[in-house]
Amino acid sequence: MLFNTRTERYFVWVFFPLALLMPLFLEQNTFYVSKLTTVMIFAIFVMSLDYLVGRCGLITLGHAMFYGLGGYIFVMIAPEYEAVNFWVYTFYICAIAAVVALVIGFLVLRTSGIYMIMITLAFAQMTYYYFSDSLDFGGNDGVFIYVKPDTSIFGLSLFDLDNPTHFYYLCLLSLFNTLFFFRLVIRSRFGRVIDSIQENPGRTTALGYNVFIFRLIAYTLASALGAYAGYLFTLQYGFVNPSMLAWTTSGSALVMSILGGIGTIYGAILGAVVYEGLHFSLEHLTEHWLLFMGALIILMVILFKNGIAGYLEKLLERRA
Amino acid sequence: MTTSLFFVQLINGLQYGLLLFLIASGLTLVFGVMGILNLAHGSMYMVGAYLAWYFVQQTGSFTLSALISAVIALLIGIVVERTLIQRLYRRNHLDQVLLTIGMIFVFNALQSILWGNDPLGVQVPEAMSSAIPLTEVVEYPVYRIFVALVCVAIAFVMYYMINRTRLGMLIRAGESNREMVECLGIDISRLYTIVFAIGVMLAAIAGVIAAPMSSIVPGMGEHVLIACFVVVVIGGMGSIKGAFIGALLVGLVDTFASVLLPQLSSMMIYILMAFILLIKPQGLFSS
Repeated sequence: MLFNTRTERYFVWVFFPLALLMPLFLEQNTFYVSKLTTVMIFAIFVMSLDYLVGRCGLITLGHAMFYGLGGYIFVMIAPEYEAVNFWVYTFYICAIAAVVALVIGFLVLRTSGIYMIMITLAFAQMTYYYFSDSLDFGGNDGVFIYVKPDTSIFGLSLFDLDNPTHFYYLCLLSLFNTLFFFRLVIRSRFGRVIDSIQENPGRTTALGYNVFIFRLIAYTLASALGAYAGYLFTLQYGFVNPSMLAWTTSGSALVMSILGGIGTIYGAILGAVVYEGLHFSLEHLTEHWLLFMGALIILMVILFKNGIAGYLEKLLERRA
Repeated sequence: MTTSLFFVQLINGLQYGLLLFLIASGLTLVFGVMGILNLAHGSMYMVGAYLAWYFVQQTGSFTLSALISAVIALLIGIVVERTLIQRLYRRNHLDQVLLTIGMIFVFNALQSILWGNDPLGVQVPEAMSSAIPLTEVVEYPVYRIFVALVCVAIAFVMYYMINRTRLGMLIRAGESNREMVECLGIDISRLYTIVFAIGVMLAAIAGVIAAPMSSIVPGMGEHVLIACFVVVVIGGMGSIKGAFIGALLVGLVDTFASVLLPQLSSMMIYILMAFILLIKPQGLFSS
């Protein structure tokens, strides 16, 4: 069985069909479709963070670095006024981000706990200031993307990135694939070793596994996916700017991940949907939405110890 | 760089470092004693600055305003610890991160409700508005020297309190073994409340005395929070001595970088931190 718990199975069966049908209900309203698209993109990003923090025990406050790099790498390597191939560039961006992650991971994984939180933050801040001070990348305003990539494979164009509904389905598919991918990773031999490292690094070393290498691979993987999410975000809005790299981006992703239920992977979707949903509806109700948002977050920490997924599991698994 | 400019930058760096120490010491004290990572610590700095502005408007006296603000900060600390932080002792760092981020949101919202989002300013107190001439052309504001002296004085008081008083003894004991302190009949939860409230007050005092030197703007808390994290991590989490050395290092590096390497200036303290952590992964003075 691919999914760990009944709750996860239920969730996948409820969420994805609903999400598939969503654009039919919102046919007239591209605003909501693109809003939902952004939530999906962020859910991918949160999921990659959730894997790192929840499954690998590697707490990072610098994950936004890869989210932003996803966009900036595109700007760096793609020609300005010429459409490039979406699939080829997806590969390039993930590969380059993976190389960056290998180097950074090699340095940051030497530390642990609170120090790792801080050194990842340090690297993310360096990237943030590099891009926000740099004139080549438009400083604080960022860079516009004039031409969106085309998505043809072997001359066959399946969808159009400028069409919000098409883009929505691309992101939904990406989200589903990411969830599926992480499930496969967790079930694989590699995933078992990662679980055992989180349980007890010392014993895993004694069993003959190189803990550092396994962590480095996990870090690289999650970072490349984070960059993919950032790439999608950049394509959706047609620009990239330093706020994608800001520590508040990492912070809110962490909040979503904890809110959803850390380490559950599918909880990332719950966290992103609930957080963004609250943000969006409160923002419309009151100018001082932050007050209610903050109070709700505080209440949730006190009431739901294992996030929303943990709460759902408690409700559903008890009957099993 | 001329000698006088170098000298001015040196004082600037030290003074900024000392101010950072004042904020970072509360952060590191709370982490060291209680094991709580308080992301809302920077908000207390912001609250201090806004309170200072508000009470200067009301009373007209900076000294009076500083006293009232410090007392209010102490009360905020007690209330927050009793109602929220106390629930976190048995939780992991992630829950602490989430709850204190929630607190940042609440404090930012309250700031915008109570005082609006326009930048505010506090006048430098009359008695200290002059400047000391260093050379014929260069002079240095008295108020900045006063700030540095206040920070040094508070550092001494803290050193004395932690190493020489009964409260300090309990703090050191609580740091090394919580259960043992409880077994000896000490009310550890009251000690925690006191430590947390002191931490909050230190951050708020820093906000108060920084108010006349910089404009009071929304988001000032988060900016200073990140700088403090750099300080605390460089020095070693939980170490007051480390925070002192770390703060001076960060203050000097940040100040000199903005003169010597303007294009790298905002990155410099992070480069310093990454460099130190790569050599000493636990910071300079890990406890």
